[in-house]
Amino acid sequence: MRPEYTTCYVRFHEERCTGCAECLKVCPTRAIRIRNRTSIRLVDLCIGCGACIRACAAGAISAATRPPQQIGNGHVAIALVSPVLYAQFPTAMPKDVLLGLRHMGFRHTIDMSIFLEMFQFAAAEFIRRNRETGEAPWPLISPVCPAVVRLIAFQFPALLAHVLPVLRPVALMAREVKERIIPSYEAQGRQVALYYLNPCPTMEQERFGPDGTPLRHPEISIGINDLYPDLNQRIDTILTEVPPFSETHFEYETCATANAALVAMSGGEIASMRIEKSMAVHGLRDTVAYLQKIEMGLFQEVEYFEFRTCREGCLGGVLSAVDKYMARSNVQRMLHLHGLGRRVPGNTILRLYDKGRFKPDKSPLTLTRFFGDRKPALSLEQMVRIEKILDTVAGWGCGACGAPDCPTFAEDVVRGEAELGDCQWLHPSRPCMKATPDEPGRSSPESGL
Amino acid sequence: MASLKKFFFIKARDFVHAGEASIHIQSLLKSMHWDPVLIRRVAICSYEGEMNVVIHGGDGVLNLSIENDRLIIEIIDDGPGIQDISLAMQPGYSTASDEAREMGFGAGMGLPNMKKNADDIQIESEPGIRTRASMTFLLESPKETP
Ligand SMILES: Nc1ncnc2c1ncn2[C@@H]1O[C@H](COP(=O)(O)OP(=O)(O)OP(=O)(O)O)[C@@H](O)[C@H]1O
Ligand code: SF4
Ligand code: SF4
Ligand SMILES: [Mg+2]
Repeated sequence: MRPEYTTCYVRFHEERCTGCAECLKVCPTRAIRIRNRTSIRLVDLCIGCGACIRACAAGAISAATRPPQQIGNGHVAIALVSPVLYAQFPTAMPKDVLLGLRHMGFRHTIDMSIFLEMFQFAAAEFIRRNRETGEAPWPLISPVCPAVVRLIAFQFPALLAHVLPVLRPVALMAREVKERIIPSYEAQGRQVALYYLNPCPTMEQERFGPDGTPLRHPEISIGINDLYPDLNQRIDTILTEVPPFSETHFEYETCATANAALVAMSGGEIASMRIEKSMAVHGLRDTVAYLQKIEMGLFQEVEYFEFRTCREGCLGGVLSAVDKYMARSNVQRMLHLHGLGRRVPGNTILRLYDKGRFKPDKSPLTLTRFFGDRKPALSLEQMVRIEKILDTVAGWGCGACGAPDCPTFAEDVVRGEAELGDCQWLHPSRPCMKATPDEPGRSSPESGL
Repeated sequence: MASLKKFFFIKARDFVHAGEASIHIQSLLKSMHWDPVLIRRVAICSYEGEMNVVIHGGDGVLNLSIENDRLIIEIIDDGPGIQDISLAMQPGYSTASDEAREMGFGAGMGLPNMKKNADDIQIESEPGIRTRASMTFLLESPKETP
């Protein structure tokens, strides 16, 4: 038995699992099963939403990221800063946070504001043109939250065409770094490493680029929560002593506006986009519910949907260090103090747009290769068998069988991945084989095991 | 020949649970890997049918039947019924209440949408007694995108 078990996004620590079955129920792809009471298994694809990490009270599930080690030791460390980082500190301003990072060993600290502004402009431009060309179907869906895009590829492939074909802010930011900052270090023969400071569970270290070729410079993900204690201390020092610090080469290495921080909140992306008919939806449950409705043909009068699988938006990300409501209040304070500002002139962005600088290098449709149809199709005969099994099991969704719900359990049985006898309520020693129809769940156990 | 039959209750004026049958049908078809475009057409039709019961009809039931080459959705409700079916089928015709309009319904596009997306549609109504809408979708459908 492997004690640790890692997907691209999450790590399972089997020895800590108590078999409570809480994680099973929250997983949007129904990927998790519990075998032999406490051994967690992944039977389907993980989209890295982080819901299971939140649900596990035993600490048996964590993000695949690890605490940072030796930042800047033997290499030039470049931080790509998620705006969620700013929302962690009640008194520090974005520029103090960036300064704190430089004290931690990052040579460059890249703020997202400019890239967000460019993204928002390009997105609005695409939408404006789409009104005439009808190139993409309404409503368009924000590409910003990767968990949403993977969820669509996995569960709503018909909606992939709705994903806005504009490069995500973080991709614009990474491209800028690769084009403008890295080459000069390469010329000096120095090793560079890119650190993504993230609120969501992502791969610990990317070794391959999107086209499959190995990366020349490592790209490492750090959870904001792993960075927080050290950074917090350094910021305290900065705020009390104000040590001088030089060496900022590019404009986006300092930040004085609250633009980026606003985007960490649900609704922040569309707030400064000047698209009238837009909506912001957050949280996994509501995201799924709205995607289902869009798939049923609703909301065609809406032009743009901002979806975030995390509640309250990215500042509610599972790797955020402070609670989402505190983070919100920090952002609001920042907005009061600094307000919003525009830094990139519209016609500059427009010129880049017309040159195709915002076009993604691959269509989201390619994602279906990784996230689409993972399991073989069920035949009509198998579907009928599933319904028959559902008639014989209790239907309480207790999770004691190790599957997230009864329909999934029945499907596992038909696929030969579970035994009908795994259902605790079919067992001969239990007389109540079936719930009385008018009292469903009355005597159902609190947790699975 | 195998066939899968299932039924779902639909409650009049229950906007909270409205749409659940359609979502369920969608997920069944997805696990059978039906063509996404066909699934979408089915979903649009069953949703519009379900909502018509919730908004205009009485309590009702949705019967689903999946066979090897086709899918049939039959929606029956014991509400007020439709006086003039060909009028009701006109795009833009609607008797939706203010409450329903506030929730974004009442464009009078439901029945026309169902007709557009189903391979076959039959609507019958005995005013004051019941309304029955039956829609058929062929696996090898000649229809295009919704
Ligand atoms: N089940 C039903 N019972 C009684 N009347 C119905 C029923 N279904 C439809 N109707 C009548 O037919 C009309 C047209 O229906 P249709 O679905 O096309 O439009 P709508 O429901 O009014 O608006 P929309 O579907 O665009 O929200 C309705 O306004 C209603 O008068
Ligand atoms: S991160 Fe999300 S998709 Fe992945 S296993 Fe956990 S709950 Fe499921
Ligand atoms: S909502 Fe934000 S923090 Fe959460 S998964 Fe999506 S991008 Fe990451
Ligand atoms: Mg209608």
